[in-house]
Amino acid sequence: MTTVSVSKRPAHIRRGAGSVVMDVIIYLVMVFVLLVCLVPFLYMIALSFSDAKAIVNNQVSFWPVGFNLGSYEQIVTYPHFFRAYGNTFFYTLAGTAISLLMTMLFAYPLSKTHLRGQGVFMRMVVISMFFSGGMIPNFLLISNLQLTGTVWAMLIPFAINQFNLIILVNFFKALPGEIEEAALIDGLNYFGILFRIVMPLSTAALATVGLYTAVFFWNDWFNALLYLNSAQYPVMLFLRNIVNGTAMLGDAAGFGDKSTIAISIKSAVIVTSTLPIIILYPFLQKYFVKGLTVGSVKG
Amino acid sequence: MARRNKTIVVNGVTMNRRETFKSHFQRYWQLYAMLFLPVIYFIIFKYVPMFGNILAFRRYRPGLGPYGTDWVGLRYFEKFMGDRAFWQAFRNTLTLSLLNLLVNFPIPIVFAVMLNEVRHLRFKKLVQTVSYMPRFISTVVVIAIMGELLSPSTGLVNNFLHDAFGITPIYFMNEPQYFRALYVLTDTWQFTGWTAIIYLAAITGISSDLFEAATIDGATRLQQIIYVTIPSILPTIMVMFIMSVGRLLSLGFEKVLLMYTPSNSSVSDIIDTLVYRTGLANQNYSYATAIGLFSGVIGVVLVSLSNFISRKTTGDGIY
Repeated sequence: MTTVSVSKRPAHIRRGAGSVVMDVIIYLVMVFVLLVCLVPFLYMIALSFSDAKAIVNNQVSFWPVGFNLGSYEQIVTYPHFFRAYGNTFFYTLAGTAISLLMTMLFAYPLSKTHLRGQGVFMRMVVISMFFSGGMIPNFLLISNLQLTGTVWAMLIPFAINQFNLIILVNFFKALPGEIEEAALIDGLNYFGILFRIVMPLSTAALATVGLYTAVFFWNDWFNALLYLNSAQYPVMLFLRNIVNGTAMLGDAAGFGDKSTIAISIKSAVIVTSTLPIIILYPFLQKYFVKGLTVGSVKG
Repeated sequence: MARRNKTIVVNGVTMNRRETFKSHFQRYWQLYAMLFLPVIYFIIFKYVPMFGNILAFRRYRPGLGPYGTDWVGLRYFEKFMGDRAFWQAFRNTLTLSLLNLLVNFPIPIVFAVMLNEVRHLRFKKLVQTVSYMPRFISTVVVIAIMGELLSPSTGLVNNFLHDAFGITPIYFMNEPQYFRALYVLTDTWQFTGWTAIIYLAAITGISSDLFEAATIDGATRLQQIIYVTIPSILPTIMVMFIMSVGRLLSLGFEKVLLMYTPSNSSVSDIIDTLVYRTGLANQNYSYATAIGLFSGVIGVVLVSLSNFISRKTTGDGIY
């Protein structure tokens, strides 16, 4: 929001009839955008709290009908849900931690343009953005490294994202060199400088990159499908299997018509699996946006 | 040799360019130590798969290594060139990409220009905050929500169509004729607000003198948009357009896979899903690698070409 809040419009703008018509159209469009963005979520929340009968009779739109917590009670008693949710938390925390550490370790030397070989390593990064291995070679690599069926298959292959790396490199380059100089004279080595001086100074950039990474891990399901066993599935793959009908809802559905219970349960899973992002989003969005503008700086 | 002897100042220390590698390494060995793990990572996880594409020219035999056993030349390329499933996937990929570009390239521009005209700052912030949010929602969730909204038995959309127009429920997610529209519109929903940030930033960068001058000249707001705002952000629009063309073939594979049903496969089978099916489901590794490599090469050509054109026309490349 930092970049767009300043209006460039002079205050003494002419306000003719055309201007009023335009305002009306613009505000209508904006309200439409708000509704289109929010209605799907409202609908999911309404369904998840609604009575199965009301859903079948098509009475539910944006407000719960026959309010009850039945579907939430059911998903928390369904053992695989908690396991999947816990798995997702683990992948997100561990994946983000590994990724931040590795990205920082690479970005710091890459930000030192006087370091010999820096250009070669930078080119190595940029080339890998153009050419990539493709689905099959990547799959065979993970299999051959014996990572299939281990949580490492979710964490290690995505340790460094080149775009995030370049955001950090640019940020480190822009830090004032005098502080490092002083630290060197005071006897700190480069690891000490990175972790005790550069890292605390870069919290904004690290937060941005960390958030992108965390969202990536939270939302990932395809790699889990390729490499993991069902006990290791994250919540997104759990949800996808419910939607696909691959996972048996019968385990959780103790009463009534299965297909309608499935709808409120599906909605409850959608709501609970998206909740952390929705809750944190308003607090974190300034970082999200900042990253986009920093990222537009050329590598 | 004046250039080589140029002294430079690094960390407050004046040093000579001719410093030997040994002393350079001794001074900076810790920086090289930091590089070690990430470089190994890049070699294993980015470069080894790149060379793994060699499998497209070799026959794969289970248990005999990931790079195949013997050379077969272009056999797999010839094979898919004569395969109707490949050409259908190729056509589907192109159609879906072009449709997506046609719809979802202009919409964020229009949205950004309109949002900039909103004068209540709080309302503007609210619209921005809400419109970015879908970008952070998992594709699985997006498709799951769409499935419920469009459900033929209980979905909101079919209920509305039935009550308002008496239309019998349509199974949107299963009918091939709706697949492309649904793909494109979910992209609109997810990414319009996010993409608009770049245009909003560009609009914010326009000098207010231009708007003042236009006002003094008697320009209406609409005229200001047409003659000041749009021309000022044209370079940004150009760069974004070229980037979009460069990324043309990289569709949201995971989204297509989630929307894929046997009954809509005639339009939803794109190159990536074909590679996934032949390679990972049917384990024809070499054949699938050849198809993947082919589309990868087209992708690289498109990116390089668009970057080249960008350099020629706007004097500024993306890479």
